[in-house]
Amino acid sequence: MLKNRKASLLLVVFAIFALLLVACQPETVTETVVQEVEVTRVITETVVEEGETVEVTRVVTETVTEIVEVEAEPEMVEQPVTLNWNFGTEPPTADPSLATDTTSVDVDTNLFIFLTKFHPVTGEVSPSLATEWEVGEDADGNQTWTFNLRNDVAWVKYNPVTGETVQEVDADGNPRFVNANDVVYGVKRTVNPDTASDYAYVLYIIKNAADINGGSEELTLDDLGVVALDDSTVQFTLETPAGYFPSIAGMWIAAPQPQWAIEEWGDKWTEAGLIVTNGAYVMESWIHGGELNLVKNPLWIDADNVQIERVEGQMIVEASTSFALYENNELDTTGVPLPEMDRVKADPMLSAEYYNAPAACTYYYGFVNTKYPFTDRNVRAAFSQAIDRQSLSDNVLKGGQIPATTFAPPGIFGAPEPGTLGLGYDVEGAQADLQTFLDQEGITLDEFNALDIVLMHNTSEGHARIAAAIQQMWADNLGVNVRVENQEWAVYLDTLRNTTPVEEEPHIFRMGWCADYPDENNWVHEVFNSDAGANRLRRNCVDANCAETTTSEFDELTVAAQLSQDPAERMEIYAQAEDILANVEAAYAPIYHYTTVAVTKPWLTRYFSLVGGNDFSSWTLDMDAKLAAQGN
Amino acid sequence: MITYIIRRMFGFIPVLFGVALFTFVLVRSIPGGPFDFVGDRQLPPQVVANIQAKYHLDWPTWKQFASYVIGDDLLGEEGTSRGLIRGDLGLSLFYRSQSVMDIIRTTLPTSAQLGVMSLLLGLLIGIPAGTVAALKQNSWLDYSTTFGAIFFLSVPSIVLGPLMIWIFALKLGWLPVAGWGSKAPYILGFLPNLGDLNVEYFKLAFMPVFALGTGSAAGIARLTRASLLQVVREDYIRTARAKGLAERTVIVVHALKNGLIPVVTIIGPAFAALVTGTFVIEQIFGINGMGKHFVASVGNRDYTVLMGVTLLYSVILVVANLMVDLTYALLDPRIRFD
Repeated sequence: MLKNRKASLLLVVFAIFALLLVACQPETVTETVVQEVEVTRVITETVVEEGETVEVTRVVTETVTEIVEVEAEPEMVEQPVTLNWNFGTEPPTADPSLATDTTSVDVDTNLFIFLTKFHPVTGEVSPSLATEWEVGEDADGNQTWTFNLRNDVAWVKYNPVTGETVQEVDADGNPRFVNANDVVYGVKRTVNPDTASDYAYVLYIIKNAADINGGSEELTLDDLGVVALDDSTVQFTLETPAGYFPSIAGMWIAAPQPQWAIEEWGDKWTEAGLIVTNGAYVMESWIHGGELNLVKNPLWIDADNVQIERVEGQMIVEASTSFALYENNELDTTGVPLPEMDRVKADPMLSAEYYNAPAACTYYYGFVNTKYPFTDRNVRAAFSQAIDRQSLSDNVLKGGQIPATTFAPPGIFGAPEPGTLGLGYDVEGAQADLQTFLDQEGITLDEFNALDIVLMHNTSEGHARIAAAIQQMWADNLGVNVRVENQEWAVYLDTLRNTTPVEEEPHIFRMGWCADYPDENNWVHEVFNSDAGANRLRRNCVDANCAETTTSEFDELTVAAQLSQDPAERMEIYAQAEDILANVEAAYAPIYHYTTVAVTKPWLTRYFSLVGGNDFSSWTLDMDAKLAAQGN
Repeated sequence: MITYIIRRMFGFIPVLFGVALFTFVLVRSIPGGPFDFVGDRQLPPQVVANIQAKYHLDWPTWKQFASYVIGDDLLGEEGTSRGLIRGDLGLSLFYRSQSVMDIIRTTLPTSAQLGVMSLLLGLLIGIPAGTVAALKQNSWLDYSTTFGAIFFLSVPSIVLGPLMIWIFALKLGWLPVAGWGSKAPYILGFLPNLGDLNVEYFKLAFMPVFALGTGSAAGIARLTRASLLQVVREDYIRTARAKGLAERTVIVVHALKNGLIPVVTIIGPAFAALVTGTFVIEQIFGINGMGKHFVASVGNRDYTVLMGVTLLYSVILVVANLMVDLTYALLDPRIRFD
């Protein structure tokens, strides 16, 4: 009995092994091929020739078509030039009206053409769908912007079954090209309250947009300040003059959209196989949360200059895994996780592949200007001057981040050179300012410390590390004790609303800002203007809880700069505004301008775009070198 | 037995309703809503109002719950919700073109494949290891098994995962770094396609299954050992030996069968937890599973996804527990369900 059981067990084990072996055997691939074969046959036939029956033998060579099975040779398939990219996360949407995050914008940048685009290096606004534009004025004195569009951009759809990219046709069977009405439709769709677009507010600069988006009873979408003058001309009418409007027009929310496809498929129109696009790439497949692959659009206006033919986009969230994939040649470029930074810099190969590019983002600590003792400029200035930003960049962040003394980073129109304005690291100045405050209030440092100053950040290892470093700098340089607290992101944002009772607010909070479009208006005005911005700093508040606000010089300056048409004048106003905010008022402490820290394989030439998404069509890749490195 | 099962299944309804109600109220009581901000940008009130109207977040909570459970049409309102009772889990608030069902359909199969393989590995290693440790109590075999169990229980997968990637993928080059080998369409909605079931599939699965499986194996081994040590001192084991049964029969047929009851008890919850996805392992190995939605949906305040995955977890848990209860009857003759 026992023996038998053993034997049967052995058998089972053998069976499993056999199965595994079979599974491991390289399969012999046979192919069914239709071949034309020359066949030589000897035919003997009996013919009746002149009354006699003669046997005639003939040799015939004929060509027959036959179906044979041949062993397929491992074909040397020409590999398309493929970029292995990590999106880092599932893009929440591919709908240009709904996109708000960088991943979705990356996808849209490659799938759609926008009115204008930002030069990948300089960040300057340059022609894209619109070839030229001019500013004007309508009969009521409103500023207008008229864009001339090119008329050769095809609307295409990728067919996942045949693998072909086909141009869309209209009801009459005519091929569809992007025209001014598609732009008008796209803009109206973003503003339409039913679309529920988060970024609709960016278009509030367009005449009546705010009212229509707010569900106005009197105004309809037809009253929106956007109109197609003819097939290739679109005109925007603005609420207030805006010299930076071409930058706004270059955003995804103003992109042309395919009305017929959206109306046919509703929310699902962005799925692979349904999505109708007009950009350099088409969507080959999108497995939500897993992968999103793009292939080159052969009908694209500049298809000859698009070198990367295929983009395999993974969605690896974990930075260390992404880095491991990179090291294994499975990704062509990726970010560098902080723990790997020292190794990357020390390693001769990785350090050559390492690059840090300025990114259009700024990290700052805001002071709640209505919360004692930060109601006093001396205290705020002391805290700002006591931060050694260079040391923070070198020892904590390690990615070549630029110490910031003003808000907008280099590359943004109107941004001052970092370090020229505002308050830099100055221990003596900081101590003097704090002492002035202590003398003025007649309190000692111990009594100041008894105020229990709170610095709050949203929960994250990185923010905690920075907070700990700065807390130490304040303790060393000023002798003040600051308590660090953290909250989960959404709770944190709720706390920082300017409607929160001031007792529940921290004294100092951490925040960052990234450019939507490369103009100072997006920075000092939209963030800090006490009238227009979120005003988390609680500047110019009538009472501590900020139920009402007034304006001061800074706020008037940012509005003046918005209205001005003269670039030189705008630059000057912004420089003034930046200095008032960071120095005269010391309302907040700018800390550093972000960098994009990445490693890139030698066979990939990529850009680090300052604003907007990553445009794969402008990158190039040496596929032979890549295959060689992968050992294929 | 049949009546017992039917009775239990009727019991599921109030349990699941309770879970749904409790989760629904709880997620909405977290400060901060899904559409208050984009990144750190505070949205104008009319934009927030537009979005909330689209997802009916402007309704009172009771009405939102009613819409979630029975659907908009039965409530006499216009809307897309067909209600939980008809299997509609709603639209994701964060992934704007996907419904919760879409999300579950793409991610659950992968998590289930990973989870089932890990649990099987856990049982295959854990039960024999625990048995050997118990039978050779206080021998070197026992000590090394116990040491191994404690080791794998204590090493968190966040350490084990990257360490394995470093050794097996980067240094030795034996296994791929990350990913999962099967894609939709799945057989029966969750089994990998036969075409996908190749060497590559198992190579990709090896590290995550190992990392997850050894963790559960360790727990199972310790439980098996403890339980078996108690059982082998029972009177009926002495009886079995006294009537001259072979030692092997005594252990396998009598002791182990009974000693497995505590193990079976934990398999129910372990099954539910593993099948619905494990956040850390899936994230480290870049696997598109459901685990991330348990965590990310809280941060995103994606109420519907959070509700959906929680309810799915509850359903799997109550069903697994029913299975466990039925298994008791097989293992212990004293237990009957009539």
